[in-house]
Amino acid sequence: MKIIILGAGQVGSSVAANLVSEANDITVIDTDMECLQNLQDRLDLRTICGQASHPEVLKSAGAEDADMILAVTNSDETNMVACQIAHVLFHTPTKIARVRSTEYLNFPQLFKEGAFPVNVLISPDQAVTDYIQRLIEYPGALQVLDFAHGKVRLVAVRVHYGGLLLGRELRALREHMPGIQTRVAAIFRRDKPIIPEGNTVIEVDDEVFFIAAKKDIRAVMGELRRLDQPFKRIMIAGGGNIGKRLAKALENDYQVKVIEHNPQRARLLSEELKKATVLLGDATDEDLLKEENIEATDVFCALTNDDEDNILSGMLAKRLGARKVMALINRSAYVDLVESGTIDIAISPHQAMIGSLLAHVRRGDVAVVHSLRRGAAEAIEAIAHGDRKSSKVVGRAIQDIKLPPGTNIGAIVRHDEVLIAHHDTVIEAEDHVILFLVDRSRIRDVERLFQVSATFL
Amino acid sequence: MQIADLVTPERVACSAKISSKKRAFELLAELLAKNQQGLSQAEIMDSLLARERLGSTGLGHGVAIPHGRSKKLSRAIGAFVQLEKGIDFDAIDNQPVDLLFVLLVPEQCTDEHLQVLASLAEMLGDDLMRDKLHAAKSCEELCGLMGASVAQAPGIDAPRAPHA
Repeated sequence: MKIIILGAGQVGSSVAANLVSEANDITVIDTDMECLQNLQDRLDLRTICGQASHPEVLKSAGAEDADMILAVTNSDETNMVACQIAHVLFHTPTKIARVRSTEYLNFPQLFKEGAFPVNVLISPDQAVTDYIQRLIEYPGALQVLDFAHGKVRLVAVRVHYGGLLLGRELRALREHMPGIQTRVAAIFRRDKPIIPEGNTVIEVDDEVFFIAAKKDIRAVMGELRRLDQPFKRIMIAGGGNIGKRLAKALENDYQVKVIEHNPQRARLLSEELKKATVLLGDATDEDLLKEENIEATDVFCALTNDDEDNILSGMLAKRLGARKVMALINRSAYVDLVESGTIDIAISPHQAMIGSLLAHVRRGDVAVVHSLRRGAAEAIEAIAHGDRKSSKVVGRAIQDIKLPPGTNIGAIVRHDEVLIAHHDTVIEAEDHVILFLVDRSRIRDVERLFQVSATFL
Repeated sequence: MQIADLVTPERVACSAKISSKKRAFELLAELLAKNQQGLSQAEIMDSLLARERLGSTGLGHGVAIPHGRSKKLSRAIGAFVQLEKGIDFDAIDNQPVDLLFVLLVPEQCTDEHLQVLASLAEMLGDDLMRDKLHAAKSCEELCGLMGASVAQAPGIDAPRAPHA
């Protein structure tokens, strides 16, 4: 696929790195020569220096041949105009834009047909907020990912003492919980994937990914670890875009405190937030944290735009007694570093959002993609089309589908019903099939599997 | 319906200079939009791309049969493009594609349309026919070849659809 990325900032460059590895033809446009040089030194891609929305610049970047433009400069306006120009002048088939400002997002009709021709709007801030919100909803989960509009979820948990299933075979899960359907999609033991079978025995510290209908998730988690008390008190360090969104999303159900160091911003926050308490101060100030009962805090979320600040305030909060600490970390090198230490969950904004882009790069009808374990693994929701003749999956039982190694089908959503996959489940046309790939390099085989034959009409 | 009925000389392009899959779709949509009132190139392109996304229409051996449906169409139309140089088309055999026959059918697709598609695949699957199509030097020649193929390829002469 020929893709033009506008903007070589945090999002643009991480997306470029992610897509370049998949035999895509990538050109990046930015006004910052140094940024571009840096990218070009690391990755096999083309760069163009210039204003991303200018027609001549787009043309020289190959807009006439591009299948997709991805407008992720730090200016909403540039991104929106670039999509319009690509549409009018180059008939670019897929146009994706990052729009952050709620001033625009509050008017969805701006992006309807006949208005700004943006096929997909991405808002990393919203993606991160949703991501954290789901983690807070399920204490103990390392990751919670939605499929089929949240009807089915893929949850990662680390197995602890107290889990009922510990030391037993996976097949015991079904006997333990009659009436509850779930499927373990993958197990990572000391960072190595294990393909789960009925006789696989669960060990302490295993990272288990399971798929279940939304209503059954808590019950399944209880099998894997002693259920944590629900969270009540949340402290957010940093009242920026993400901090504010999260506070707004949580303030009605939780006790929320926001620490913000900028007096003006703090005032604005206190006006906009109805129930949350806004504190003016520094999140790395030990006295402030103690004063605000950090030892009784269930979740401390460090969400400033400074990685180092987030890591330090997160470590401090943990030492002072916060139950669970999450930190927003942009630099991928830090993510690994941090999760092996005191901070419970490192949240990488581009990991939270890359999936929504990958869903449009994947061949075949793919509705949702989640990139897992820093891009090594992937979970996808693919839609099966055609019939037994034109499709390689429709009309076949799961055991008869030639899945690549390390790949399994976890669940199927048929109309509105969630079916947990069994070996004899037969795939029907228009089923949404949820698959887990422990090795992303197998994605081509999975794409092939779900593509209809050339004569499918 | 016969393959020759689907294309008119104005909807055939010979030795087109196209460098990408995206531009090939633009050209195909442009050809199909000729003399079609109320059906724009953009709509046609969207329909073709929506189908292409479900799976490549590259048949192998340098041939592709992109197709789509349109609510605004009462009878099927086609166009044919011979490219000067093959393009990457994500075809089943990963070979570049340089012969494209595009088919746009009404929203309510019938067995007849499926049959047309199957006969197209059959016609373009024939080594001899492909060699001739490759060697053709003009639109007239290409049109002539497709007209002539009707006599050779069986199963094309299906009854006309009632609404055609």
